[in-house]
Amino acid sequence: MRDQIARYAGKLLADRSALPGHIAFAAHDDVLLSEGHPKLARLCEGVLSSLSCLGLAAARPSLPFADFLVRRAGKEASRIVPQDTETRTFLHDIPFLRRDELGNDAPARIADLLGSRKGMIAEGLGIVAAGAVTVEQAYIHYSSIFHAAFVKYLLDVLSEGFRLPGEREAFEEFRRSWLRPLDAEGLAFRGAPLEAPEEILKEIAAVGRYTVERGLVDSFFGNISLRAGGTIYISQTAASLDDLAGRIDPVPMDNSSTTGITASSELLAHRRIYEESCGRAILHGHPKFAVAMSMVCEEKGCSVTDCWRDCDKVRWLGDTPVVAGEIGAGGLARRVPPVIAGPRKAMVYGHGVFTLGLDGFADAFRAMVDVENGCRREYFRRLSPKLAG
Amino acid sequence: MTGWHGTLLHVDLAAGTSRVEPIPRDLLLGYLGGRGLGVRLLRGAHTLDPFHADMPLIFAVGPLCGTPAPTAARLNVVSRSPLTGTVYDCSAGGRFAHRLKAAGFDALRIVGRSPRPAAISVTPEGGEILPAGSLWGKSVGETVRALEGRGSVAAIGPAGENGVLFASILMGEGNAVGRGGLGAVMGGKNLKAIAVNGSRSTGIADRARFERARQDVMRLFRASPVIFGELGISEYGTPALVDLMRQRRMAPTENFRKTVFEGSGSYSGPSIRKAYGSKKDGCHGCPIQCKKSDREGAHLPEYETVSHFGALNGIDDLGSIVRSNRLCNELGMDTISAAATLAAWGEGRGRFPAADEVEGLLADMAFLRGEGGLLAQGSRRVAQALGKPGLSMSVKSLELPAYDPRGAYGMALAYCTSNRGGCHLRAYPISHEILRKPVATDRFSFSGKARIIKIAEDTNAAVDSLVACKFSFFGATLEEYAEMLAAVTGEEFGPQSLKEIGERICLTERFYNCANGFDAKDDRLPERFFREPGSSGEGIEIPPIDEKRFDEELRKYYRIRGLTPEGTFSDPGYLSRLP
Repeated sequence: MRDQIARYAGKLLADRSALPGHIAFAAHDDVLLSEGHPKLARLCEGVLSSLSCLGLAAARPSLPFADFLVRRAGKEASRIVPQDTETRTFLHDIPFLRRDELGNDAPARIADLLGSRKGMIAEGLGIVAAGAVTVEQAYIHYSSIFHAAFVKYLLDVLSEGFRLPGEREAFEEFRRSWLRPLDAEGLAFRGAPLEAPEEILKEIAAVGRYTVERGLVDSFFGNISLRAGGTIYISQTAASLDDLAGRIDPVPMDNSSTTGITASSELLAHRRIYEESCGRAILHGHPKFAVAMSMVCEEKGCSVTDCWRDCDKVRWLGDTPVVAGEIGAGGLARRVPPVIAGPRKAMVYGHGVFTLGLDGFADAFRAMVDVENGCRREYFRRLSPKLAG
Repeated sequence: MTGWHGTLLHVDLAAGTSRVEPIPRDLLLGYLGGRGLGVRLLRGAHTLDPFHADMPLIFAVGPLCGTPAPTAARLNVVSRSPLTGTVYDCSAGGRFAHRLKAAGFDALRIVGRSPRPAAISVTPEGGEILPAGSLWGKSVGETVRALEGRGSVAAIGPAGENGVLFASILMGEGNAVGRGGLGAVMGGKNLKAIAVNGSRSTGIADRARFERARQDVMRLFRASPVIFGELGISEYGTPALVDLMRQRRMAPTENFRKTVFEGSGSYSGPSIRKAYGSKKDGCHGCPIQCKKSDREGAHLPEYETVSHFGALNGIDDLGSIVRSNRLCNELGMDTISAAATLAAWGEGRGRFPAADEVEGLLADMAFLRGEGGLLAQGSRRVAQALGKPGLSMSVKSLELPAYDPRGAYGMALAYCTSNRGGCHLRAYPISHEILRKPVATDRFSFSGKARIIKIAEDTNAAVDSLVACKFSFFGATLEEYAEMLAAVTGEEFGPQSLKEIGERICLTERFYNCANGFDAKDDRLPERFFREPGSSGEGIEIPPIDEKRFDEELRKYYRIRGLTPEGTFSDPGYLSRLP
């Protein structure tokens, strides 16, 4: 258990989602143990002792967005409802406790909320997330909430501006210091078309790691594949892209075997993209500005109410098409393949970005970087009147 | 109160009477329905012999049955198993559960032994006991057809009549109440069949909230590669697992002597589809439709069945496997235990049955002819009779299904802690150890598995009491089902409160078992798994299980459950503190 805690505490630092020194985990095997920031560790133990779960993570996010969302919420509100696909599908909503609601028995109050949801926000303390069966799951839920709060805050600020004292300054600090230039410099990609399975597996694992290291995906979101002959080599479902060794399924294009039942939920989308294009490599990530901008729709008088599922339009963000469609069999696999073959990139409403490489991952990776950089530029261009003030 | 009717139908076959009884509200809130309610209703009779006339046979539906909640048109049948001696329950789909709920009952409790073959007809007016002498000796299909004018039918075949210890109860739509021999309990009561009919609706307290939760569940189903993926169970049924278990080198072969069967491709999901043109089929109102049928509508076998009539007996003849499955369903026998008993017997006599011998042996079992009389008692008794008790690949006398425990250590532990014996469904660690849901765990590690198994057992006890299909949880979680339950009943539930109910159910079952003499000595895997390796290769090592490490984890499980080191209860009054 302690090795698992060390591993996922390290990941929270590596992905810069938590403040160094403000991270704690607890795990409940036959005994309850905790590690990390003493106050948070005690909190974790107190919460976990009331839950039928194995793991718990509590950390102060590296950005104040989650706390801002709580403070911006109406007085009667008890939860935020981010609109990104991951939240809509897996979290539904994120409950919170305001600073004055934590009282003298914060563990009990937090445990009460975690009795119904995977994670929550405790204002002033941080994000607290449970893992029913593993410590990794607690890390994943923390990361999902960090991602959801990030995207929601971007959108809320874009539509409503800054409303709290210190908010603008914090946002400018985020833009100046937290955001880093995004590029593909220094990354090595295999040039020639790959045929040997061992080489393919190595390349997929390496590129998966790049997407995490460059911040194009959080936790275990995203997927990656390469087609060689009649086989699609694709990352498994619930696999972290920075840890793909042994977690890549070879799936025959003709469905003559079902070993790929453990493949990514987007296998169908990957297969159809290969069938409808001459691409050989596909990368799917959830870069945050692209996720946010995919939901900025200026259509007037539209009758669609479930934009994630029912919108059948192809919108354009610069030279990137944006389509709707839910995960897996939810429509994404029907709407992305027709639009991706030409531009070799596509965005999915509230979800993320697919890019296509003709020979390997080099052009697919650069395309994803370009989409995210384009979305960043467009976001700040639209925000500039509010930043100016 | 919505969701529940708050009533059960009590039928006494010996007295020839029936009556409607209220179910106290605290029992419904404390045990939900299905497995939980059935287990609670068994209290007081749990130490009776399974064939004792007063041993109840309980059919219980859940609060979600009768609503559009996905996969919730199910029930659990609860009694004590003649095969294992443990408390026993089995979840089943079909239309019977839906009709029982529509008749206005949350449960049907049957006691007594009819003086002559009988059937029960259940309607909103109550129960009627019908003569069934003309049906005695008939197959399940013949019995169902004879009664179908009376609604949905659950029936036993000749195996149940003749006391085969792993006899099933079959729903008319082909869904089995399998494994532990509750068909024999029903046969012991001289009860051939039950027909249910009704049209009462199940109330929903908050329809808008329910619909939101239902949409959340459907979204998760669509996001799940195991459920609606193009290689998942909706497309290929559970035989989608054949190729995966072969690739993971954990397909039990030749009575678990090996873990790879080179002929398994002949009965994989794609092979069955090619040979039989598999179509989607399934339980009432289920969106997944994981059962598969052929072009004429006849049911095709599930994963466990193809693997055990296949690899476990060294048979790669798909036609033989399909015929064996159909014969078991017509005779009313559990396919896993039947095939595993044949495999143990085959290894014991030095030759596994050939493909063309299996059907004859199955008929001999059901009618207790020749060696069938011994085979009808299950693998543990067969192996003992052969003087080779180690050949029974069972836990608490229940034959192990088609996941070799040397390939998944959580599964190894869960086979032993299961309250109904060697069953994969109590904790279902295959979900995370193999199918990566909700997250992956290391299948070759015991680390954390005691806690994980405990949590999963509690979770699945709640699922079995809602009642929902476990396959739903390859996508959805208790969060969404708790939300639907709250919307239906108007009572607040969450994942944590459901797991606490699940814990109460699991401990009640364990208490019953302990009262019948079970303890740590029964929580044991067959020695083979600690002494012999599986079939290593292709970069995957399948060593014997580390017995010392296994024992450590089992002791941890006892501590986590609050049990003594012997796996028993220190407080003899435990049950009295429960609702």
